[in-house]
Amino acid sequence: MQRRDWLKGTSAAGIALLSSRWSVTAAEAASLTGRFPGLADAALSKAKELGASFADFHVMQTDRESLFVREEMVQGVDAGSSLGCSVRVLVNGAWGFAASEEISEKRVAALVESAVAMAKGQAGWRKQPVEIETLPAYTGSWELPIEVDPFTVPLEEKVERLLAINRAALSKGASYCHSRVAIVRERKWLANSFGTRVDQSRVRMHPSFSITLTDSKKGEFASRASTLPPRGAGYEHLRDWKAEDDALLAVDQAREKMASPSVSAGKKDLVIAPSNLWLTVHETVGHPTELDRALGYEANYAGTSFCTPDNLDKLQYGSDIVNIFADRTAENGLATIGWDDDGVETKGKEFAIVQDGIFRNYQMALGQAALIGRDTGSNGCSYADSFDAFPIQRMPNISLQPGQDDSVTTEDLIAGVEDGIYIDGNGSWSIDQQRYNFQFTGQVFHRIRNGKLDGMYRDVAYQGNSVDFWNACDGLGGKPTYELGGAFNCGKGQPGQVAPVSHGAVPARFRQINILNTAEESGKKVAAVERCCCSGGGQIA
Amino acid sequence: MSLTKAQSESLSERILGMVKADDATLWITDSEDLQLRYANNDVTSNGLVDRVRINLGVSYGKRSASIDINQTDDATLKDAVAKVQAMAKLAPEDPEHMPPVEPTEFADPLTFSEATAAMTPEEALAHIRPVIEQARAAGVDTAGYLERSVGSGTLANSRGLFSFQRSSDVGFSLTARALEGRGSGWASTQVTDVGNLDLGPVGDRAIQKALASRNAVERAPGRTTAVLEAAAVRDMLGLLSWSLDRRDFDEGRSFLNGLVEEGESPIGKKIFGENATLISDPLYEDAPCGTQYYGLPRVRTPWIEDGVLKNLSVGRFWAQKQGINPQPNAGNLILSGNGDSTEELISKVEDGVLITRFWYLRMVQPQSLLYTGLTRDGTFAIKDGEIAGPVKNFRFNESPVNMLKNIVASGLQERVMGSEGNMPVHVPSLVVNEFNLSSVSEAS
Repeated sequence: MQRRDWLKGTSAAGIALLSSRWSVTAAEAASLTGRFPGLADAALSKAKELGASFADFHVMQTDRESLFVREEMVQGVDAGSSLGCSVRVLVNGAWGFAASEEISEKRVAALVESAVAMAKGQAGWRKQPVEIETLPAYTGSWELPIEVDPFTVPLEEKVERLLAINRAALSKGASYCHSRVAIVRERKWLANSFGTRVDQSRVRMHPSFSITLTDSKKGEFASRASTLPPRGAGYEHLRDWKAEDDALLAVDQAREKMASPSVSAGKKDLVIAPSNLWLTVHETVGHPTELDRALGYEANYAGTSFCTPDNLDKLQYGSDIVNIFADRTAENGLATIGWDDDGVETKGKEFAIVQDGIFRNYQMALGQAALIGRDTGSNGCSYADSFDAFPIQRMPNISLQPGQDDSVTTEDLIAGVEDGIYIDGNGSWSIDQQRYNFQFTGQVFHRIRNGKLDGMYRDVAYQGNSVDFWNACDGLGGKPTYELGGAFNCGKGQPGQVAPVSHGAVPARFRQINILNTAEESGKKVAAVERCCCSGGGQIA
Repeated sequence: MSLTKAQSESLSERILGMVKADDATLWITDSEDLQLRYANNDVTSNGLVDRVRINLGVSYGKRSASIDINQTDDATLKDAVAKVQAMAKLAPEDPEHMPPVEPTEFADPLTFSEATAAMTPEEALAHIRPVIEQARAAGVDTAGYLERSVGSGTLANSRGLFSFQRSSDVGFSLTARALEGRGSGWASTQVTDVGNLDLGPVGDRAIQKALASRNAVERAPGRTTAVLEAAAVRDMLGLLSWSLDRRDFDEGRSFLNGLVEEGESPIGKKIFGENATLISDPLYEDAPCGTQYYGLPRVRTPWIEDGVLKNLSVGRFWAQKQGINPQPNAGNLILSGNGDSTEELISKVEDGVLITRFWYLRMVQPQSLLYTGLTRDGTFAIKDGEIAGPVKNFRFNESPVNMLKNIVASGLQERVMGSEGNMPVHVPSLVVNEFNLSSVSEAS
């Protein structure tokens, strides 16, 4: 299908419609903003009347657009919008919550009654009352800065960007290529009984592709996915991506991967690119330092944490060059926002999780700091993923900071490795429910020999213990090597909620990390394991 | 919002009546969820949530688009129809586009219970309270989640198809932790009819496991005989069912491609152990599911029979291209068992490990369907047919294909929840040889 063929269907009227109701237009936002104070006042005063010591009222609209192209076929042109409201109350030290897609005075009043009844139903057998700190009252609005609103960009332009990626990959010999872009806008209005009235809007985008090569004779195949992370950004994130170049490289790399020797299991030095390391930061530092996990709130689902409160200011989480900071203010951050879903202002709440290798602080939501004897209050880490979700503690942007020497490059880190692997792109990831034992793969595994890249490996996974791993870090890239990774879909909670989150990282070097051969793990006898220094140029020995 | 059939029919007619496109397919799902979550033996987040989702797909020839909304007022619906039609007109033609299915009759599902639909928050709290009080009395810390979900799914299209199916269920799981000695236990249940909900034994099972798993010792990892309880089996089967796909095989990117010669079909081939029989059946009373899938009837489908692969799921386009019948994927999973109790299964094992459940399962190598994940909430050594004591958890690297190849005994089927997905299942515990426990996890 050529672009000119399908553009015949385009009409000016059609394009104009794309920017109508399903993205919150200024008029619609004004309508909701106009209705919100009256609904909020009614909800909060009714909650107070029914005995709530605290209450908040949320309205949330989520607009989505996703496009999917398989080879040269456009198979997904999807849009969506959800809108609804929720009421949360604290009555006699117990939470109650109710939500509906219907936003009317009558329905909101019924929600308040339901929420209060849920809270009161715990009276008489509750062990520990919920206590929360008093928050300042805020009024205002906040909007994530973007260059181009992706919902207003003509559909055909976005589709053409994806088709171009697939054409490039197929022209280079890919057997298959699919590409997609997911676009989300969240619009939130929040009022609480402290007097806060804020509305906020943010946009995020995730363009991606994956190519596959097959070898029907051998019954084998290899894939390589793009490494561009999602960002809190506008259309410019897709527009400026040199995706065709990456698609061409991906085909070459998948071909080389298929012909590469299988890695030998054992300890090796690793240099890990930010495109892989962001996810390791997420799993081995982000989740273990969520205070609700450490206190047992997630015990039945996501789990608890090895990083219990007695470790604060004591645990040597990493080597002394490791600094990991959290914020909800980073440029393009997926967790970036003005106020969290408890009404805590995020500016000025940035904090160190690991400083000079020592564990310093947890991520916290409303009412949690006092549980570990801290008088700081929440550090702004509350989030609800939809109008019908109870706000829970979720990750801010959590990032591995650059080393002190700005001049250190990835090549410098590789130069310090005799026998190791440089890992690029994230693949499979898994970690236990207390965040000790992790196992990750990647997209591409470059062999390092005598300080230089020398071909590739396949069948690689790295596995270890979170604290041992970060203590094995002995090299960090400088500021120019810093990149922001992230994901749309961090899961937590029951019912499950997904949160978008970014993680910055620099390339980093780790000594003597356990490497698994995944083919051997599957029970296969591996014929082409690497042979010390005798196998040449990444070919099968 | 809980739609009756008449309301759903009326809403469908309203929406489809607005559509000017050549074809349209409409999905309406609505639910009223009652959610009760607790931790540290106290209720934490909880709520009553109602929601509706309307998904409208339209097409002009082979150009198509879809839209999702959750508001039902006329202005919203008209805007949604206008927008999706505009998008479809702009979309390039998709050579694989399929027209809506023709009207078909579907069997009445067994997925709905009036009693479950009528369950109140007070009743839910009354179910939870004794479980929490039981834990407090035992000195064990518990966290759990009960969800009552009731709703409907409507499929209607411009060819005249209309299907309305209701469903309800209550799912409950809890994790008990013995903080002294770091013991942990887990149990779950899921019922369609709340009249069958009995949380006492579920709570007791988790608490007893937590107490029994205190002071776990390290056991060397390696390939070993494992007694996989039903929740662990469930997770592995779910992963397998997602990969039983005909198109993936035909395109050379399935785990099955490595198991047959070029040009050979995997259907009819003995890929699994002869004691592995896996079916889906929407009218299976112990774990029913809906009787249609995108307008195709779901019927009893054998996937594996005595180790032989019998079916792969096939989408409508691929079926037409290959000249075969489309095959919906699994809506539920039933794995045959021999009815033995867990104790009887343990008694058959000379040296091995009992595994309560898995966690964080992720694909490592699609070529061999190798998954990794971890054991949690009750892992025990077995010696000479008896539990020898608690052991530390393991990371595994294993394929569900190997699991079904290496079954040596199976137990009583149960409807259990898992850590991956929410599909109804009725599966037994299994004794499996050569299960690859790859490394030790300190998690407890």
